[in-house]
This record gives sequence, structure tokens and C-alpha cells, in this order.
Amino acid sequence: MAITLETAKEHANDLAVVCCRTEAGTIIEASNLEDPAIFPDLEDSGLLKIPQNCLKIKDVLGAKLIKTIDSLTPLTPDLLEGVQVMKEEKQEEVKEAAQAVESRPVASVVQAAGGVVKIHIGEGKNINLEIPLSVAGGMVSGAQTSEVIPAPQAAVAAIKEKEAAVVEAKAIRRLVKKHFKIEKVEFGPETKIEGTTLYIRKNICEDAVNVSNLVTSIKVEIITPEDYNKYSETIMDVQPIATKEGESKLGEGQTRVLDGVVVVVTGTDEKGVQIGEFGSSEGVLETNIMWGRPGAPDKGEIFIKTEVVIKENTNMERPGPLAAHKATDYITQEIRDALKKVDESLATEVEELVQYRRPGKKKVVIIKEIMGQGAMHDNLILPVEPVGVIGGKPNVDLGNVPVVLSPLEVLDGGIHALTCIGPASKENSRHYWREPLVIEVMNDEELDLAGVVFVGSPQVNNEKFYVSERLGMIVETMDVDGAFITTEGFGNNHIDFASHHEQVGMRGIPVVGMSFCAEQGALVVGNKYMKYMVDLNKSSQGIENEILSNNTLCREDAVRAIAMLKAAIAGEEVKPAERKYNANVKESNIDMIQQQTGRVVELVANEQVLPKSKKRMEIYEVE
Amino acid sequence: MKYGDKIIYIEGIVVEVHDGSISVDLKGRLGFIKVPMRMVISDYPIRVGQEVALNMSFIEVISDEVNEKYVSNIEKRNKDKKEVE
Repeated sequence: MAITLETAKEHANDLAVVCCRTEAGTIIEASNLEDPAIFPDLEDSGLLKIPQNCLKIKDVLGAKLIKTIDSLTPLTPDLLEGVQVMKEEKQEEVKEAAQAVESRPVASVVQAAGGVVKIHIGEGKNINLEIPLSVAGGMVSGAQTSEVIPAPQAAVAAIKEKEAAVVEAKAIRRLVKKHFKIEKVEFGPETKIEGTTLYIRKNICEDAVNVSNLVTSIKVEIITPEDYNKYSETIMDVQPIATKEGESKLGEGQTRVLDGVVVVVTGTDEKGVQIGEFGSSEGVLETNIMWGRPGAPDKGEIFIKTEVVIKENTNMERPGPLAAHKATDYITQEIRDALKKVDESLATEVEELVQYRRPGKKKVVIIKEIMGQGAMHDNLILPVEPVGVIGGKPNVDLGNVPVVLSPLEVLDGGIHALTCIGPASKENSRHYWREPLVIEVMNDEELDLAGVVFVGSPQVNNEKFYVSERLGMIVETMDVDGAFITTEGFGNNHIDFASHHEQVGMRGIPVVGMSFCAEQGALVVGNKYMKYMVDLNKSSQGIENEILSNNTLCREDAVRAIAMLKAAIAGEEVKPAERKYNANVKESNIDMIQQQTGRVVELVANEQVLPKSKKRMEIYEVE
Repeated sequence: MKYGDKIIYIEGIVVEVHDGSISVDLKGRLGFIKVPMRMVISDYPIRVGQEVALNMSFIEVISDEVNEKYVSNIEKRNKDKKEVE
């Protein structure tokens, strides 16, 4: 693929190889050259062998070819006439301009951020594999440069103003979570809580089944730790049981939550086909769940597990999975109503979450990309009850456009996740309830978290770019100093993930991306703004290994991302990613963070601590 | 994998479109695949009859062993199916 003049300038010191058959007499231009980013792949596949005397791009531009050569021939002095060094002046100009743009925010940032940790982090897989024309077209710079320049100036001015008046952190919202401990769950004549025992009405399923005419039956099972070795259908979601007190709205006021017990949604259609059957995690529970992940159950918890059967052939249509969630929520709601009546003195722990704005600190935004391709790729946004159904708007129906939530709305169950494929990488409802990045950033005294933007990932590319451009505009109005972008799982959502980076990055805002990539989820597209990447992989093989929540965002990833964003805001460069996924990059970054901050970052365990299922032993990890 | 390097360009036809997945007949009677929406990249709304392309390889059996867990899942599903019919 030929390159543009801009690319040629960026790669002036890289080697020159022609992209296509080139006739003798041709004056070499950028369009005759191959993109150096793909050389390693070409060399790996044996298509390209680069000799020692291969010339650099800056030397060959304008030179005349004296021999007709085939595609992918490296340019050497014997093939060219009039080899010259690219005009020095011109090149310096480019460099200076680039530096001028970068240096302004750098100076101000270093000053303001004082003891910022400077860490080089280069992670994620090689992101420049292939760029479809539709994406590359939007990447042509020039127009962007003019947009970039004013932004840092504005930022400098803003920072100065902020510094002039050192303002104290301002608490703008409070949420109290009252925890009630449950030690035993039993069936009884009515749903109620007595002491630490939760009783569920025996015949509750007879009513729950009527919630939707797509639901043909529903069964509730109480799973205690002794039952962890039982078979279960694919886990569609893990949800906290929580309810709002009185007139409190989601994200503020009082919330009551049950500890020691979670709701687990499972289901099949009438023919026994799992809902969202792609890489299902049906099987023995204890071999399929990565305990303790933000979105997973904790070891020792009791599950109230529903098994919803929906009409045949509806498992791939939007109403199907939604019906399974609605039927389950009927049961949860009855528990919530019982929880509302419980005497307050039974609360074992009262936790207060405070959302601060910290004027004068680095203002950041968290952008979470959620699935919006339909059916089991959907989410209900802001239900009335924490992780409820009623009142929640499906992001698919909202057109997947960006919606801003306060961090406390996120942590109060503002997202009911219907996503049910990619067991290891999907973010369950409980994940948002305990979202580590939101918690870490919100509590970081060096950062001013402006809000959390949720943006859906539609199916079709032009819709992806539509929502991505809206996201860019929202971020522009926020005047942030940095942004985090996360996505769950891999697939076409990486196209909008890349576009979000571009939309934020072209406004001069450093952006850290977080995704599961490793071996299997390598990004399909990339752009020059995707420099700061955090890979969420935890599995030893770097794959989607069907173990619930294994490769989702954990605290350790949040810590890395924050360190990386602070470094990026301070203008630190990152090392380019290695060609092949290398788990050691993460380890060494964590080591650096620990050394610099003196803070211990414990790494979570991965699937190796679970009893090995035969599936894992034989299919994935043949010894 | 022993033969993992052989990547072949294959075309297919979209034969089913659901809210969450599509099904594709591979041209040349080479098979049928069903994939979730997020694994499909498209500039256009997806409709039955559209042609698709992908690079794929052969399916290689990893070992002679049978995974009992999967067998039990399949048997369970077949049993459920019979009960319905």
C-alpha cells in the first residue's frame, strides 16, 4: 500500500521499499513507497528481505530509478540516481512545528503536576496492522493540525487561572451504601429478611414467568459454596441486590445492599440452546468463574441463580435476552421490597461515597464504550433501582449516542448489562457497581474527574463514526486535560474504540486506552493517537478462555492507566509496543509504579488457581 | 497447531440476520458459520444476500482425546431438545 507524504515525513528515517512494480526512470515519490509499519510482518512471512545497504526514505525521495523493479524491492544505492538527503530546512520546519505544539502543554503540565510519576509504558499489540480506507481517510492530518494548536493555548491559560486561585476539593454528591449481611438464603412462604437470613417466596416463579410472554419457564436455585461444583447454564449476568431508600435517586442519597449474596442470571431457549451461545460458559461453576473480579461473584457468596427458558429461536433476538433479565428482575424486585422494610439497625456497615470536583487538578474524563450491536449486546442505562430494569433505557434504542453519568451513578448500579458473550471479557452489571477505574480516579487527589461518558458500539461503521464524532464534541466542551477510554471484549468495537481515540486525541488531549487484546484480541485498526494502551489480559495464554470475568478491568489495570495518563499529560513518551504480546511489559510497569509511588499493587490471580476443567486442560492448555 | 500458517481468502453469503448474530454460507459448499454481530465489520446495514469475505484456515483437531465436559453439555442439550419435541 502506497504511503502519503505525511507518512513519508514521519518515517523519514525508516527504510525505503517500493510498494509496487516501478519502472525505470520513475522519480521516487511517497506514493511509490511501502508503509514501514508493516515491514516486520512482511519480513516474518518471507516476502521481504532488507539488505544492509538499504536507503532511508528521506534519501530516496526525488531520486530517479535506473532499473525496473518488482514490488517490495528495497531501494539500494545501485538502483537509484541522484540520491539526496531530503531538504534539511524543510524537515526542520516540520519538526519545530511539531515540537511547538507539544511543548506548550508539556511545560505547563510539568510545572503543575510537580511530583508526577514518569513512567514509560508500551503495551498492547502492534496496532498498525491494517487501516481500512474509511478510517485512514479520516486520519489525514493537515486539517487537524490547525485544530490542535489552539487547544494547548487554552489549556495553558486555564491552568494558570486555576493555579492562581488554589481551590479546595468540592464535594458535589454523596451516596451512602448501607450493607446488610446475609448468611443464609432459604425458600419460605413469603419473601422477607430476618436477621441474616433471606427467605424467597416458594412460588415466586409462578408470577415471574408472566413478566413476558417470551418466557416459558423460570427456575430459581440457591447455590451455596458447597454447590459450587454443580452444573450451570451459561452465566449471562451477575448482579448486586440493592435498593434505593425512600425518594433517593440513583447515584445519590441512600442505597441498601445485601452482602454475601448475588443474583446470577442464566438461561436457554426451549431447545436448550444457551442464550447468546458463542463461547458459552456453561458447565461446572467453580471451573468457570474467576472469583473476586469486579464483575464476578466472590468466593463464599451465595448465588440466587435463575434459569430462564425463553421461546425457541428468540435467543438471538433483542426481546429474548431482555425477557430473561426482566423475569429475573421480578424476583430481585421482591427481594428489594423486602430489603426496604428491614430495620436499619441490622446494617453491618455504612459506607459513604463522595464525589469530589478538584479545581486546579488535572481534569480527566472516563469514557466507557459499551456494546450496542443488538440482542445480547445491549445495556439498560439508569434504571430506577440499582441494576434494575424499570426506567432503564437500552443504549441501542438511544442510538448508542454518548450519555454522561456521574461516577456515583455508575457505582450505584446505573448500568444494567445485557451483554452476554465473551464470558472472560464482558463487563457484568456487578462490574459497574464496583468499577475499579471509576473508584480509583474518583479518589485520586491529583485528578479532577469530570464524569463518566458511556458510548454504545453500534454495528455499522458509519453509525460508529456518528457516535464517535458526538463523543469528540462532548469531550471538547469538557476542556479536559486527559481521557481514559475503555472497551469490553474485542471485535468490531475496536473500530469505534480507535475512532474515539482519534476524536479525543485530535483535540490535543492525551488519551489512555484500555482493552483486552493480548494474543486473540489484537486491535484490527489503529491510529497515531493510540499510543498509551493498557491491556486487560490476565489469562496465561492471552486468549478468551471462557472463564467468567477473567480478562476484565481490575484495580491493577486502573492503577497502571492512571500512572500512564499522568505521564502522558506530563508529555512523557511511551516505548512503542513490542511486535508480539509480551506479558512482562505489564510486570515491569507495575514494578516501576511500585518503586515510584511506594505503593504496593497486588496483582490478581488468573485461571491457574481454579480447579482445571477438562475443557481447559485438553483444548487450551495441552501439556 | 501444526498447520496454522495456511491462511486462505474465502467468500460467503449472508443467509440469516438476527439482532445478535449473522449466519454465512461459505461459497463453494465449504461450510456454514454463525458469528456474533461484534465479530462482523461492515460499512453497510447487514442484509440477507450480501457477500462477505474473510481469511481463514483449516480446522485442525488438537488431539485424539474427547472432552467429557463438552460431551455432557451436548448430551444435555440433545436431551432437552427431545423433551420439547
